[in-house]
Amino acid sequence: MAVDIIVCIKQVPNPEHFSKISLDPVTKTINREGIPVITNPWDKNALEEGLRIRERFSGKVVVLSMGPPQTRKSLEEALAMGADEAFLLCDRAFAAADTLATAYTLARGIQKIGHFDLVLCGNETVDSGTGQVGPQIAQFLSITCVTNVKEITFQEERKLIVKRALESGHMKVKVELPALLAVGQEINKPRLITAFGIMQAAEREPRVWGCEDIGAERDSIGGEGSPTRVLETLEHRPKRKGKIMTGSPEEMVKKAIERLREMGGLI
Amino acid sequence: MDFNLTRQQEMLRDAVHEFADAELAPRALELDEKGEFPFDIVKRTAEMGLVGIMTPKEYDGTEMGHLARMIAIEEISRVYPPLGFFFQTGHLGHWSLQTYGTEEQKKKYLPPLCRGEMVICDAITEPSGGSDPTTTQTTAELAGNEFIINGRKVYITLAGVADLACVLAKTDDKFNEILVEKGTPGFEITRREHLAGFRTTPVNEVAFTNCRVPKSNLIGQEGKGLGIGLSAISVIGRTGVAGIGLGIARGCYEAALKFAKERQLYGKPIGELQAIQFALVDMNVEIEATKWLSYYAAWQIDQGKGIREIGVDIARAKLLGCDLANKVAPKAVQIMGGYGLSEEYHVVRRLRDALHLFPAAGTQEIMKVTIGRSIMA
Repeated sequence: MAVDIIVCIKQVPNPEHFSKISLDPVTKTINREGIPVITNPWDKNALEEGLRIRERFSGKVVVLSMGPPQTRKSLEEALAMGADEAFLLCDRAFAAADTLATAYTLARGIQKIGHFDLVLCGNETVDSGTGQVGPQIAQFLSITCVTNVKEITFQEERKLIVKRALESGHMKVKVELPALLAVGQEINKPRLITAFGIMQAAEREPRVWGCEDIGAERDSIGGEGSPTRVLETLEHRPKRKGKIMTGSPEEMVKKAIERLREMGGLI
Repeated sequence: MDFNLTRQQEMLRDAVHEFADAELAPRALELDEKGEFPFDIVKRTAEMGLVGIMTPKEYDGTEMGHLARMIAIEEISRVYPPLGFFFQTGHLGHWSLQTYGTEEQKKKYLPPLCRGEMVICDAITEPSGGSDPTTTQTTAELAGNEFIINGRKVYITLAGVADLACVLAKTDDKFNEILVEKGTPGFEITRREHLAGFRTTPVNEVAFTNCRVPKSNLIGQEGKGLGIGLSAISVIGRTGVAGIGLGIARGCYEAALKFAKERQLYGKPIGELQAIQFALVDMNVEIEATKWLSYYAAWQIDQGKGIREIGVDIARAKLLGCDLANKVAPKAVQIMGGYGLSEEYHVVRRLRDALHLFPAAGTQEIMKVTIGRSIMA
């Protein structure tokens, strides 16, 4: 049984450098200049799951992303991890897309790639965390969608049991392919890139497609195709302030309890 | 002039960085405490294609080159320097074999070496000293189709765990490099040295008593052994030391920087005090300077330049790499105060390892002799 898989990935600012991110007061967008980028960690879990499914059965793992030219780096890393092919949707017209326009563009990319049995993506991203793009892609492709996936089990050809995480506990869902599964980080531990993978990937270049290549409608992509409007962006500045008690341990505890009582934290 | 690393080299750096943080850092203290050679980690790095990083693909290597090798050694040594030392020393034999070995030797030994199923050591230094190998006393008498080896070697890194040794010996008045397999009668691994650092990379004495090996174990042409041994020490050993020195320095600098940002004194982080900040700045600048000088030496090897042409560049890299580690590590201890001496903070073990770089692959003074000869010529 061959399973052809498309994994959608996104390049995001490295969370270790989030403190350096600033907001542009005019465009209301995040200023990412000079912030190192990584592949969204959830998407690496999605890729890892795709590679494991390919190792168990057969088929191809194709990686797809939308973004500026530097997104190529994430696709090259995906190839080094073991993906068979990589496509980058890169066009100025795609810029400033909200989740709907992004999902539309990725869905057009998937249709252009052609045959697939399974689409995998991360459940959310570290930068915006809406969790909307996966389900929206599934809607555009008219296929089944399951989110928060923590385990995928193949029962028989084209039939899966998918375990999805709930706030407390989990839910088992029967899924028939084709489907889109948005995975959580507990599903697996992504493999590390090896020198062997790097050298094999050196022979495969990511292919780049623009708006015309995927036949996207101009009014459905980029800022123009985005129904969402950002009216205001606000920086979160914590106002809480620590207070250090002094004295012997007994005195400090007494003072802390008094302070908590004053604030209504203790009855 | 292009200072950019290739995409492959960048990806390798990120991958080895991640590997070192995820798989070496949690085990560093325990490994050092036990002092046992980490066969499982060596196997893991072999699976990642790091052991065969400069070996041609046809012998199961990844053929990424010498700059890639230096970057990998640097990233590994940033977290666990003894593993960097394994690469520094083990690759001496890999390189001698792939550069001078017969096709039969390459096919027999390089694939298991690259897969981490075999370990090789270089046996050159003798009790008379390591700086002048022309005083080698070990003999390899030619008797028909065999060499009969007699003599003693000291400070042989990896000998205790090696399956194969590359031995420098004299046949009449000529030098030969000869392969000796573990278990060959008359080849004995004797006492293990108890040294300050690199605790998981064993250093032993070895002895040869009428040890007979086939003549086909000769590496390269007859009588060229000294040149082969010294070239390996320069091209592989010294660049390896530069990589380890860079790694140790970065590891210590990062630990001291983190500490200086967190540790409060007079109501503010000590990093805001200029005495501390300037020490960190000095570390930062010296690491960058040494990095580019060392990368340049390794890059030139990848460009196919010969040892005669770039021996001085390599000597500069070894000299600075060793000095860098031995300046930055004690300074980090100083910034961190008592914590710097605590094993939990991972700086003092790197300081112990840094000390080993002084004699490794030629002393600092020998580097100066090499550079001195070049500038006085």
